[in-house]
Amino acid sequence: MSHTTPCLSFDAIRQDFGALRVLDDVGFEVEAGQFVAVIGPSGCGKSTLVQMAAGLLMPTAGQVRHNGHLVRGVNAGIGLVPQQAQLLPWKTLMQNVVLPLELRRVPPAERMAQARAAIAAVDLAGFEDSYPYQLSGGMQKRASIARTLVYQPDAILLDEPFGALDAQTRMVMQRDLQALVAAQGASVLLVTHDITEAVLLADTVVVLSRRPTRVLARIAIGLPRPRDVFQPFGIAGFAAAYDQVWAHVRGELVAA
Amino acid sequence: MRGRWLHGLTMALPGVAMLLFWQWASGRLIRAVYVSRPTDIAGRLVEVFATGEIWPHLSATAQELAGGYAAGVASGVLAGMLLGRAPRAARVVEPYLMAFYGVPKIALAPLFVIWFGIGLWSKVALAGIMVFFLVFYNVYSGIRGVDRDLVNLVRVLGASPRQLDRHVYLPAAAPFIILGMRMAIPYAVIGVIVGEFTSSTRGLGMFINYASSTYDPAGVFAGIAILLVFVSTAGSVATRIERRVLRWRPPLASLQPEGP
Repeated sequence: MSHTTPCLSFDAIRQDFGALRVLDDVGFEVEAGQFVAVIGPSGCGKSTLVQMAAGLLMPTAGQVRHNGHLVRGVNAGIGLVPQQAQLLPWKTLMQNVVLPLELRRVPPAERMAQARAAIAAVDLAGFEDSYPYQLSGGMQKRASIARTLVYQPDAILLDEPFGALDAQTRMVMQRDLQALVAAQGASVLLVTHDITEAVLLADTVVVLSRRPTRVLARIAIGLPRPRDVFQPFGIAGFAAAYDQVWAHVRGELVAA
Repeated sequence: MRGRWLHGLTMALPGVAMLLFWQWASGRLIRAVYVSRPTDIAGRLVEVFATGEIWPHLSATAQELAGGYAAGVASGVLAGMLLGRAPRAARVVEPYLMAFYGVPKIALAPLFVIWFGIGLWSKVALAGIMVFFLVFYNVYSGIRGVDRDLVNLVRVLGASPRQLDRHVYLPAAAPFIILGMRMAIPYAVIGVIVGEFTSSTRGLGMFINYASSTYDPAGVFAGIAILLVFVSTAGSVATRIERRVLRWRPPLASLQPEGP
């Protein structure tokens, strides 16, 4: 156990869906300010972990803690960026981004200013009055990130956030996410199946096994920041870190 | 500008042709006492407005329509929202509502006269109950169809149940509420007119019923013409409101719910 309280901790998590055991004694921590990527084969329950941290799903056994507090219900102190952008289609970009502040009853002038700043931070200034259907997939994703950053949660959950984007857009988003998160100093839990993405962005990569899922490895990625997302294999030490993660992931593939 | 004129003209053509044929056929193919004729109906319309004969009927019917429609929509939206949000309660109540939905509401007309009198309230009740079911079912299925993931996300963003209603459920159900409201307009008219047919002292339904029992087809058609104008005006107002409220939707015809 570490001496300081971790931002997020998953302790002996078990999750059964009916007779199916998905998670079996999964445990890891996200230290304050740390970027942790969770990687594993599809169906291994990666997204389930995100649901638990958000308080939308209670584990069959085990505990999830956020800043030492047991997560018992919906966790509004955390940021959640889902797979789909999930903007409210009946609200403009501005109305979407300002929503968390509105729900928290931040005074109107203040919340508008903060939302405007968040929109500018994700490079969407000028689109405040657009409805989601008028925005591209990448822009919607940016808006979704702005909506999370705007209320400055100390922990952000990203559930395969860039899976639906094309390769170029994804790289740009990864670069911007890296910068935005660093600027805010938030702890991040990123769920992904993309090894490059995991190694590029994370301080620690947690590799999960196939069902019933356990933690196979916790791999520290000591690459210097900022990391060049456009030339990952040009980063000194990237290939070695990649191979280290890949060795564990490949083990699971071969076993299948 | 010219295109719109042309379009209007094309739209009017079948109607004009029908009226001309009606005018010609009446007295030639069919006896005028059965179908009257457009010129007679126009004359009768001018007459009832000029003498003021129609006003008490119009005002009675308008009040009953407004009251029944408003009551039906309000209770339908409220019940739809409540039951849509409470699936367990809904499972208990739904079979009863389904059964009641199947009852032809017209059959209740005589009963409503006994309960609410022959004045305004029996018609308000009859129109209200017909509107209620349409709006209720639309809103109920609209609420139940709201994306669970979206609801959960907004809860994580910090929404209380009340805020969820306002920011998620209500706007998500808006297309269904509006569809129900639009579909309900002609049903409100049926409810009121049937109520007035059953028993009343004033109202367009009573006016039509009286004209028909005195072999005055021009009077019957004059009453129907007034109803026609009302229903189509209300329908186009509803379409306008729909466009305004639902402007967040992509302008794709296929995404618009179609009412009858």
